[in-house]
Amino acid sequence: MIKKKITIKNTAGLHARPSAQLVKLASKYKSDFYIHSYGYRVNGKSILGVMTLAAEHGAELELELDGADEKEALEAIVDAIESKFGMEED
Amino acid sequence: MKTSKTKELIIKGRTAASGIAIGNAVLINSESKTVTPTSIKENEVLGHKERFSKARENLVAELEQMSGELKDSGTAEIIDTHQQIIRDPEIEKNVFDIVENKLLSVDFAVYQTYCSFIERLKESGSELFRQRIIDLEDIRDRFIAEVCDQKNKEPIKKGSVIVTKQISPTDLVSYYEDGAVGLVMEKGGITSHAAIIAKSLGMPCIVNADGVTKEADKDKSVVLDADAGALILNPSKKTIQSYRKKAKTQKKLAKEKAADEFETADGVPFKLLANIEFEAEVAKVEENRAQGVGLLRTESLLFGKRVRKSVEDQEAFYEEIVSKTTGPVTIRLFDIGGDKNARRPLKEANPFLGWRGIRLLLDEKKLLRSQLQAILTVAGRYPGRVKILVPMVSVIDEVRQIRNEIEKIQGALLSSGGQIDENVPLGLMVEVPSVAISAYQFAKEADFLSIGTNDLTQYTLAVDRGNERIHTLFQHYHPSVLKLIKMTAEGAEKADIEVSVCGELAGDEIGAACLLGLGIKELSMVPNSVLKINELLSSRPLKDFQELATSAIELSSSEELERLYGEWSQN
Repeated sequence: MIKKKITIKNTAGLHARPSAQLVKLASKYKSDFYIHSYGYRVNGKSILGVMTLAAEHGAELELELDGADEKEALEAIVDAIESKFGMEED
Repeated sequence: MKTSKTKELIIKGRTAASGIAIGNAVLINSESKTVTPTSIKENEVLGHKERFSKARENLVAELEQMSGELKDSGTAEIIDTHQQIIRDPEIEKNVFDIVENKLLSVDFAVYQTYCSFIERLKESGSELFRQRIIDLEDIRDRFIAEVCDQKNKEPIKKGSVIVTKQISPTDLVSYYEDGAVGLVMEKGGITSHAAIIAKSLGMPCIVNADGVTKEADKDKSVVLDADAGALILNPSKKTIQSYRKKAKTQKKLAKEKAADEFETADGVPFKLLANIEFEAEVAKVEENRAQGVGLLRTESLLFGKRVRKSVEDQEAFYEEIVSKTTGPVTIRLFDIGGDKNARRPLKEANPFLGWRGIRLLLDEKKLLRSQLQAILTVAGRYPGRVKILVPMVSVIDEVRQIRNEIEKIQGALLSSGGQIDENVPLGLMVEVPSVAISAYQFAKEADFLSIGTNDLTQYTLAVDRGNERIHTLFQHYHPSVLKLIKMTAEGAEKADIEVSVCGELAGDEIGAACLLGLGIKELSMVPNSVLKINELLSSRPLKDFQELATSAIELSSSEELERLYGEWSQN
């Protein structure tokens, strides 16, 4: 199992579309994926779970991955969050 | 609670398709119901779980179909998100938990599960996330209907006026087939697919009618005056009568004025044809005296309720259209991609400038060949009737490749003993400025040109017409577009081939008058506009239209042209 802390950088936060992208990405990997945030722990492969985190810009999350491909999965997920999901934002 | 109303109430909206409809209101997608828990027995658990899985499958498939049909990529993306919500593993976990451990029915389990997520979103406190609650409620309600197998929509009574928040194109078509006569949408936008289809079905339609689903009462008579952008609730007998009269006169006038000859006042002939997409519209072609089908859209074969990809299924569709009409039928090859390929894995940065129309077909040879084979087979049965139109051409080589494919398939049909039409005309859509600018060079390679004014306007002005934020920049009568049309007409004339316009401009009075003046003698439009346009074009000598067009291309905006037309039509 690996864990990593990360901050949400896109201005709109994890609203529906970025959540959808994050979940889609995570679902490609076999590893279990959980997100911890301010005392909550949600299934990172559940769009509703991710949305109910209401993670806005600046929110701090802890990513938890557990499984055979946990390293690749973590890398891809961190990459997506760091690159603000490839969205242009003002 | 609705207040009891006896007074007439007018709800305003934007006109999306003109006309008058008088009928009873049917409210579609009414408010959600509360679902109460029902106990089930241990041996029913499996059945309830299966109902859940089946419903989920159906909902995902339904959305899949919609995303293929919807015009703008933004909406398609939202639909994609909805699919994910439906497939959410947490939903399944929760639902199964309630069914298995609490022994409660699946409809309640779905209701309860979605409600708990909705509550959590509400608690999260952010306005942005609260907006998603509307989506979740919508999905919840559709899920429950599906699980209870109530999804099969009730057939509506003939002569009903549909009142709804919004509606999917396939649902609209099926209500039309049931006999719906008008459409009022709370949401929408005049370029929404439902609005465009309403127009093409000749169904009066208004959109953006705020609060209409709250105000309208089920089964009460209403008057939809789409020309005035108004829905009249609780119309008095007097109002209804006066509208009945008005509708009758409109119909009569249109029929009377429909000249048998399609020619200008000084005897110059022109042709008016119909743009259609569904079998249901065939009757409208003859009814409105269109001289043929100038544009048969075929995408509904891939995205509609019934996917008809096989050669045989396509053949049946083309045969139906050709056999039930008398004039030429111009079949456009699948115009997919851009906004319509949401189902494909490839995400493009600029889908409208990307893999669409002919570009996609030349890569997807199997699809292209199946369509050509179906079209050419039907063309062989009706020699001289069928024409083929290629969408989104931007370079000449694309035309050559298609011609090559056609020749190969014709050869194969012949050698297998089939009948062919050796001279099936091959036409190009002019919707990209490159083709308009080099019209003569393209015209030399084609049998006819057909200008798609919507896309040509989009590419000339660089304005995505589906984008609500900039829709005011999408100027139908922009003089630069008219100039490109003029260049196209000149190129076609020099190459001695026919040129037509099959975009919205053709069915619009200002547009049609200018087009005729620019030398376009063949216009294809929604069937319902044929009579009106014929009346206009036959009312004056060609010289008048030419004068209008000559002045029009010198202007600098759509607005100026609207003013000019106002003066021109007074004289």
